[in-house]
Amino acid sequence: MAIKKKRQTRDEIDEYRENVDEWIEQFEKTLLERPSWNKTTSSIEPLRGVKVTPTEVVVTADLPLTKEKAVQVKPLDDRTLEISAKMTRKVRFKELGIIHHEGEFHMFYCHTHIPVPVHMDKMKVKFKKGMLEVHLPRKHEQVVLKEKK
Amino acid sequence: MNIVERSAIPSGALMLFGFPDVGLVGVIAAEHLVSELNLTEVAYMESKLLPPLIVLHDGLPHSSIRIFGNNKILLAVSETPIPADIIYPIVYALVDWGKRKNVKVMISLSGIPVQDRQDLKELKVFAAASNQNTLKLAQDKGIETLLEGYMVGPQAVLLQRCAKIDLPALTLMSQCFFNYPDPEAAAEVLKSLANVTGVKVDVGKLLEKGEEIRMKARDVMQRTQQEMSKMKKTQELDLPMYVS
Repeated sequence: MAIKKKRQTRDEIDEYRENVDEWIEQFEKTLLERPSWNKTTSSIEPLRGVKVTPTEVVVTADLPLTKEKAVQVKPLDDRTLEISAKMTRKVRFKELGIIHHEGEFHMFYCHTHIPVPVHMDKMKVKFKKGMLEVHLPRKHEQVVLKEKK
Repeated sequence: MNIVERSAIPSGALMLFGFPDVGLVGVIAAEHLVSELNLTEVAYMESKLLPPLIVLHDGLPHSSIRIFGNNKILLAVSETPIPADIIYPIVYALVDWGKRKNVKVMISLSGIPVQDRQDLKELKVFAAASNQNTLKLAQDKGIETLLEGYMVGPQAVLLQRCAKIDLPALTLMSQCFFNYPDPEAAAEVLKSLANVTGVKVDVGKLLEKGEEIRMKARDVMQRTQQEMSKMKKTQELDLPMYVS
């Protein structure tokens, strides 16, 4: 009973932190609005999402024009995931009708914050039709409380 | 809100809508219709309520909300997400304009987000309508009805307005990703449109170009997501509480 209650409280705290993280991320996006592409590194940020379930965190990213073997998913630390993927071809700005910028991009690159503690070493990666799915089991640090007599 | 007509508008046309929404289903489908049916710009919307934004095509300014057409079809498209706080006046203006042009039926093309989208092999299309007779048009063609739930965004306002002024309206929604451009869902919604109206286009080309479309639509999708967040779009995934 005590373990269950402790776990519920921990989940509530995680959820609160997740909401705060989401709010900060949105705030930063508004404050530091920038293009999705980086001319220096010839890269573009993929669209991505993070979903927290009771058992795992699922990170998804849309990686069109890529193949599975060109996708790299790497933990940078225990709360940050780096995703990069080389495209099957270079995409020039000109192809998109943009001629006032010169350049091209040939890879997707981003790093994503993981809002709750996870086991990075137990990461599982799925890739289907250019859609990446990374499954990270959650860490639940359980404290066993002794019932009072 | 003012709709400026650039050429003669046919009376009794079918009016379609493709607005930025989940999976950009409506916009992707609309872009494909314009290209496949060689639709030309027949009208555009101007208003000081719209964001201070123009779309440049061949160096010339265009409104972000335009109506394309031929002698049978009118297609209202927005190239940028519609700010949540002006959806009502925009949709009302378009619907009322369509009514004045004796539009037969209005059909909005959209998506319905599903959590396991990536695992779905076949995408279902659902329909909702402004009245029973119009709903039957879809049901008779085997399209499932969205029986209960919430609808948020331009297509919701469209159905509500059309129901009020007694104009037949239908919304076709394909299962899709919530926040990723979904050309496959756009193809499914176009197949259902063909089924209901006979307006047929080759969706093979759309599917072939799928990855290119996802790449190009990336930024519009992100901005659309920001607007969807403001209008509480995720309410569509809420469990409905029945009040009857």
